[in-house]
Parts: sequence; structure tokens; C-alpha cells
Amino acid sequence: MRWLLNIWRTLNKPTQYLTLGSVSVSAFIMGIIFWGGFNTALQATNTEEFCISCHSMESMPYKELQETVHWSNHSGVRATCPDCHVPHDWSRKIGRKIEASHDMWGWLLQTVNTPEKFEDKRLEMASREWKRFDRDNSLACKNCHNYDSMKWDSMSKLAQKQMKRAAKLDQSCVDCHKGIAHKLPDMGTARAPELIAEVGSGVNGLEVDQTYFSALTKPVYFNEKTDVEAGTLNIATKVKVLALKGNRAKIGISGWRKKIGAGRVIYYDFGLNILSAQLTKDAALEEGVISTFEEKEDPMTGLKWQRVETVIWTDTDYLLNDLQPLWDYARSTYSTSCSVCHTQPDESHFDANTWPGMFQGMIAFVNMDQDTQALVQKYLQEHSSTFNKSAH
Amino acid sequence: MTNQHPQKKHTSNKKDELKALCFIIFILFPALSITFVSIYGFIIWMIQAFGGVVAH
Repeated sequence: MRWLLNIWRTLNKPTQYLTLGSVSVSAFIMGIIFWGGFNTALQATNTEEFCISCHSMESMPYKELQETVHWSNHSGVRATCPDCHVPHDWSRKIGRKIEASHDMWGWLLQTVNTPEKFEDKRLEMASREWKRFDRDNSLACKNCHNYDSMKWDSMSKLAQKQMKRAAKLDQSCVDCHKGIAHKLPDMGTARAPELIAEVGSGVNGLEVDQTYFSALTKPVYFNEKTDVEAGTLNIATKVKVLALKGNRAKIGISGWRKKIGAGRVIYYDFGLNILSAQLTKDAALEEGVISTFEEKEDPMTGLKWQRVETVIWTDTDYLLNDLQPLWDYARSTYSTSCSVCHTQPDESHFDANTWPGMFQGMIAFVNMDQDTQALVQKYLQEHSSTFNKSAH
Repeated sequence: MTNQHPQKKHTSNKKDELKALCFIIFILFPALSITFVSIYGFIIWMIQAFGGVVAH
């Protein structure tokens, strides 16, 4: 410690031997050398050679790139890894570099060192990359591909129509052009893969008496063993875990039902057409599944509603601790998908019972899987003017 | 050396000054710069992770 103290003492008073000139000149020169070196290092880590110095980068993504137009084409220009995967702007580049420290873990823990492991994580990794592109509106693509420089005449009629609309909205390229430089993840087998990549596939180790939210539309069962379905639990529905057995959980769903027929549809609240669960007729009539409480008449429709508690079994997967990630995903999906055609209405522009009709009328124009549709509709309903009194 | 009597001034010789200068320009300031840039990058990463897009 003494030498440090000595240095501090020396630094703390005017120099006696070194001149001000020599101190400032040496500091200035060192500054230049340092900053030059820093930039050289930054550039060195921004080359393709650096990226593919890792086996997992070289063996999969780099090989896949070589089969695409971004590797070889008639114009002789090609994209290297950092062209698309590192922002060009300085601040964001530094941010991305630090963010890449996360990749070091993958390397240390050998997360994707074999083609099988890579394939297993492909969707997750691709989703993360798509999110990154979405975040800055595909700026990485637009550094080369500029809407303003597109030659419309040499495009097909259909391409023109699509591209002109995209140009007008300055749409993010990966909204449509996914899987162009690497293989597209297999999205056919999983349900709502992007949603699940975003919110996860549920809590490991559920706890009794805790409340959870469904991350997908899930089947429900009569008991812990049978495969006979007793209906479906709607997405983003609050459930309380009452008991656990193997990979099944006994859940309680609180809500209201209309007192018509078997009353097999459970709604979020009195008078609101927000789906929580739909039971089969057999399940709705089964002893012990639905317990009934007070009744109220809806003045709008004249229908009698009844508060109910439903107890039923479901698989333990796809149950989340928190509802917010689902809403976040729904909000971004709603704003990107719906703005393709027009400015989407505010969530609170309609009330909870008007949204389903509005939404279903528009859904035909966009490509949304069933789970995402159900989620977005529920998001709109639960953020409608019925709940958000501040607007309209 | 360890005597901290106020009258007895601690004097540094030319070697000490050179040592201090080298310490600052070769070790301390480069280390500080790298630390600050890293923190800056980390902040941007976090802002983007939680708050979306960062302005240019």
C-alpha cells in the first residue's frame, strides 16, 4: 500500500522536476494512443473472423449464411456477421458489445456446441434476434436496404403493393422477412412459439395456494389421471393452485356464468364477455366442479348471471407467476400486427363487450395463431374503457 | 518516512514523479476509461432490455 500512498502524495502537489509541458504532452500522446488502441480493439471484435473464431458460430450460423443471397449474389456485395448483428451507431454498438458478454456464458457452458443443441435453442435465439431487430425497426437492414432507393418498377405488382405499404409505415423488415440469412426455426410443432419464447413455458415447481396465469389456452381434465378433456382454460386466466399430483394441478377458477343452458362458459366478471374457461357439458353438470354463489341480473341483456367457483385439473406446464409479460407481448403484437393496415384504435376506445366483435372483424387480415388471437383479444378487453376509466 | 510531522515536508524526487505519471497514464486512466465505457454500455443494454429503444 505504501507505493500507492507515495504516488498519491506525489500527485497531490505541483511537480518539482517534470515540467507542465512534459506532463501534458505525455498525457496527450498517451490519450491518442489509448483511444486509437481502443478503437482498433473495437474494430477487431467487429470482424467476421472474430465472430467465427467460436466453433458454434462457425459451424452453424456461418455455414447457413453461405447458402443465402446475403453471402453471394450478382452485385458482389455481401453482408458479414456484424453488418446485421451489431448496431452501427456508437452508443448502441457499445451497448451491444457489453450485452454480448452474455454469449460468453453460452460458450463457457457449451450451450450450443452441437448441431442438436443448436437446433433445440434455435427458436429462442432467433426470437431474441428478431426482438432486437424490432427494437430498432430493422435499422441493421436499412443501413443497406433503403425504402427510398427501391426501384419499384422492377418489382412484381404484388411485391410493389406490399413494399410500398411497408415503406409508408417505415415498417421493420423482419416483420415479413424472417429466415433470410439463417434457417428459419421450426415453428410448426410448437404453439405460439414467439409468445412462449417471450414469456417462458411456465413456472417450475408450482406451489399450492398460489395464484398463476395461463400462458396458453390449456386443456382441463376431470381428475389427475384421465386424458378425457373437460374443456379448456382460456389464455391469461388467473387460477389458484389447490393441489398438486404428478404433472397435474388442481386449480380453482373464480368467475361468473350466464344462467342459460348448462352454464358451461366461465367469464371473468359479471356482465363481461371475457372468457376464463369453457367446460364441456358433462363437466359443467358434474358434481363438485362448479359451485354456485349469488345471482345478479344484467340490465343490458336481461340475463341472469351467477357467480361461480370452478375446480378442475390441468397440466402443470404453461402457468406463469405474472400476468404482465403476457400483456406486454399482447400490446406489442397488437400494435405491430394491426398497424399493418391502419392506425389501430386505442385499447380504451371500446368497452370489454364491444372488443370481441371489432377484433374478430379485423383478425382475418393478419396472420395470428389461435393462442395469440385469444391473448390479444383478452388484452384489449381487460384494457378497454370498461377498466380504464381515464379515456372516453 | 513515516513521520507525519507537519513541518517535515514529504519530498518527492524525480523518480517518484515519473512513477506517478506512468501509473496515471498507463494504468489508472486507461482502466478508468474502459470501466466507464463498459458501464455506459451496460446502462444502454439495460435501458434497451427494459425500456425499449435508446435515442442515437
